[in-house]
Amino acid sequence: MLRAVTSRFYAATSAALRANIQRTCAVQAVRYSSHVKESDEEFDARYEAAFNDPNTDGWLIRKLMNDLHGYDLVPEPKIIIAAMKACRRVNDYAMAVRYLEAIKLKCDKNLDKIWPWMLQEIGPTLKELGIDTPEELGYDKPELAKVNVFDIH
Amino acid sequence: MNEMANHLVKHMVRVAPRMSVRCASSSTPARPIKSDPVAIPEELPQELKDSIYPKIGKREIVGFGWNGLPTYVDRCEFPFPSIRFKETTPEILALREKEKGDWKKLSVEEKKALYRSSFCQTFAEFDDAPTGEWKSIIGLALMGIVVTGWCLIAVHQMAYDRLPVTITEEWKEKMVEHMVRQGQNPLQGVSSIWDYENNRWKK
Repeated sequence: MLRAVTSRFYAATSAALRANIQRTCAVQAVRYSSHVKESDEEFDARYEAAFNDPNTDGWLIRKLMNDLHGYDLVPEPKIIIAAMKACRRVNDYAMAVRYLEAIKLKCDKNLDKIWPWMLQEIGPTLKELGIDTPEELGYDKPELAKVNVFDIH
Repeated sequence: MNEMANHLVKHMVRVAPRMSVRCASSSTPARPIKSDPVAIPEELPQELKDSIYPKIGKREIVGFGWNGLPTYVDRCEFPFPSIRFKETTPEILALREKEKGDWKKLSVEEKKALYRSSFCQTFAEFDDAPTGEWKSIIGLALMGIVVTGWCLIAVHQMAYDRLPVTITEEWKEKMVEHMVRQGQNPLQGVSSIWDYENNRWKK
């Protein structure tokens, strides 16, 4: 299985790389990096499609959310709506609330500006699916106190 | 098995541009069967099962996490670890059954219980909550300063010579008297401000 996976992986990526290299060699006046930059709409559409795909299971949803969390951006409301629906599809309530908390973290210093707008945009979907925001659950303030594992000696 | 490999590769190439080859390593656990959350997935090779399951107990593996290992850590940059936090008990299984229905029917306690079964602490608790660390920092800093003070006093007492007698006030006054009697610096210095007629400092 590993050999099949890696051989297909290398086949796929090397084909893509070869295509890219041929493209860059053809145009000599302009310099392209080997990775063609995708636009914001393509980025949004890709993630929305991935979340909306009925074949994505909990494993891939978590991976998508972790990856999206790694980018330096607050995801568009339509991506978040797709993510919430994906959580509903795999019947995982905790994942939805956790992701909303993660979005709040992404807003960081601009939380007062972005979060009310975000709630306004995704509010109808949250109500329709029955997902509570972290504030409604009381999770915007600390509830349980635990000793930090790094402080246990 | 083959479609799973295809599926995995298609997603690896298409979805995440910052993918590394680590996802194709043999230590990545295969995805568990969706329908039966407690069953040990049969796609895992036996040696992997032996190494993973004693360590994590009956907790369900739900994702890749950040490095493919089945560990649980609350990290603000990776909101979803690879395993759930609590072991699957009959109560939690009952909640999971309820979760498959309408979420509006769940009470707030049940929602919180579902959250806590998957995650240890909320973002507010592990990320933003005050730790009181500033107290230990200030305390240790002040203790350090005090110990340094003791060291300085000890060195002063034990190592340094005593101050010479020329620093005392009597000696200094005697010195000035001698300078005036000798008429030192009569134009701009100490003798210029001594009134020799009246034997006192000039007004």
